[in-house]
Amino acid sequence: MNVVVVFAHPSADSFGQAICSTAVSALESSGHNVSLMALYQSHFTAAMSREEWLAYHGDQPAIDPTVQSHGELVRKADALIFIYPTWWSGLPSIMKGWLERVLVSGVAFHFNKKDKVRPSLKQVRHLVGISTYGSPHTYITLMNDNGRRIIMRALRVCTGWRTKRTWLGMYNMGNSTSEQRDEFLQRVHKTLRELS
Amino acid sequence: MNILLVFAHPNPASFSGALRDLVLSCAEKTSCELRQHDLYDTEFSAALSANEWTLHRSAPDTKPHLAEFYADLQWCDTLVFVYPTWWSGQPAIAKAWLDRVLAKDVAWTFPEGASRIHGNLKNVKRIAAITTHGSSKWVNVLEGEAGKRTLSRGLRVLCSWRCRFTWLAMYGVDNSTRYERNKFTQQVERRLMRMFHH
Repeated sequence: MNVVVVFAHPSADSFGQAICSTAVSALESSGHNVSLMALYQSHFTAAMSREEWLAYHGDQPAIDPTVQSHGELVRKADALIFIYPTWWSGLPSIMKGWLERVLVSGVAFHFNKKDKVRPSLKQVRHLVGISTYGSPHTYITLMNDNGRRIIMRALRVCTGWRTKRTWLGMYNMGNSTSEQRDEFLQRVHKTLRELS
Repeated sequence: MNILLVFAHPNPASFSGALRDLVLSCAEKTSCELRQHDLYDTEFSAALSANEWTLHRSAPDTKPHLAEFYADLQWCDTLVFVYPTWWSGQPAIAKAWLDRVLAKDVAWTFPEGASRIHGNLKNVKRIAAITTHGSSKWVNVLEGEAGKRTLSRGLRVLCSWRCRFTWLAMYGVDNSTRYERNKFTQQVERRLMRMFHH
């Protein structure tokens, strides 16, 4: 399988980085072709520019070479995996910016004759989200898990309804023990190794 | 009334730009004090940096480059957001404002022994969001209205316990007519005038 891993964490010695490394090694050990997009480490530009906004409804909305290359990899992906820390109940801005700039019309969706959005990523069989949270699960539910909703629901407009969705959440990070964190890494490893 | 306006759109000549101008003129007509964070115009950094992440639990004076943003946030009693909804949420640069400006001992505190953060923006009595959606209301409800809930829940719990939330959203703007956009503009103006008069 072609697997695209989109990863956002600013720190190289964070637990998020450990999750990402575990995920990539699990996928590679099962023989998948992994493309890692480490947004912070590759200095990905988070905000959509004025030029991109003006081109958005045109025939060629992706005008930046990095954005174009990411788009091409996404077009060929059989699985999309997102790894990030949840901040203010949502995606880190850099990952939100990745969605806005890379998943444009012609890559992730197209407009039909009635100008309705139709999916262009129907080949994607798996949508996986892995996130860490500072708060306990109940509090997240109360606040609404907005990042999860974007990855698991809004993205489905592009992948269609047959795509299998998997969510792995590490809650209450601040009060977690190293055993709990190890256990979570094992869960990540197991889930991704069995992905097919 | 002290209004802090957060505006995020790459093109000031857009419909969102017109809605921003409307907020400015309503504030002027009602003689309200207004400060603006025009994120694109001031080239606000759209991602929390590694340094800022490391200082996440440190005092605000360790991040002097954000001091003005902190001061404005603690000065205002009304927060107004104007942005286009992209991927059912705030544009990256506006999410970055939340990620970077809502700092410890400014927007929240973490008292000894507490299990979660405590809100610290008792000064904020009202949050208003003015936004446009390309898709229909129906699609947005199915997708979960992530942007709306980020402000009405995630941000509001940090504010005064009687903080009110006003959602002024235009759905289906991509296929809208000028008449519909004018109607929405007038509706926003009425709501803002009433809000700013109090």
